[in-house]
Amino acid sequence: MDSLSIDLLLRWGHFIAGVIWVGHNYSSVIQRPNWRALNAADLIDDQSPRFQALLHREHGTFRWASVVAWSAGMLMLWRYGWLMGAITLQGTLAPIGIGMYIGTLMMANVWLVLWPHQQKVLGLKPASIAERVRCSRITHLSSRTNTMLSIPLLFFMAAGAHGGLLAG
Amino acid sequence: MRHPYDTAAGTIVLGLLLTGALAVLARLLIA
Repeated sequence: MDSLSIDLLLRWGHFIAGVIWVGHNYSSVIQRPNWRALNAADLIDDQSPRFQALLHREHGTFRWASVVAWSAGMLMLWRYGWLMGAITLQGTLAPIGIGMYIGTLMMANVWLVLWPHQQKVLGLKPASIAERVRCSRITHLSSRTNTMLSIPLLFFMAAGAHGGLLAG
Repeated sequence: MRHPYDTAAGTIVLGLLLTGALAVLARLLIA
C-alpha cells in the first residue's frame, strides 16, 4: 500500500476512533447532564435499575477506541517526521503538540484513573460498598475531565491543520 | 459541595475557558 493510502487510513481511523471515544463522553453529558450520587442501596442490590444501567454502559469500546485514536495520532506524527517537533512544541507544530499532550492526558485518565475505579464500582474488583460509592464519584469526575479536555483538544487539532489565530 | 463538572454547562464552560487560556499562552509563548 502506498504512503498516501496509509496516511488516509490513519486519518480516517483517528477520526472514527476519536468520535467513538469522546462520543461516549458527550453521550453522558447529554443524557445525564447533572450529577446524581450513587447510593449504597444501588450497589447492595446488584439487580437495581441504577446498577444494571451502569453495568450495561460498560463494554470497553471507548477504552479501546482511545488506544486506536491515540496510536493513529502518534503514528501519523512519527511518519511525517513531526513527532519531536510536536513534543517540544516547535513553531507550527506547537498546536498539534498541545493537542497531543491533551490527548495523551485523556488516554491516561481513561486507563489509570477511570477504569481502575470503575472496576470497583461495578464489582469487578473487590471493594466495600462505601468504597464503591466513593469510587463512583471519582469516575464521574474523571469522565467529565475528559469531556472538558476534549474541547481544547479539538481546538488544537483544528489549529494544527489550519493555523488561523495561532499561526500569526 | 458542587463541582463545576456536576452540570453539563459547568463542564463546557471550563473547557472553553481552558481552550482560551491555552490558546493565549500558545500565541504568547510559542514563536
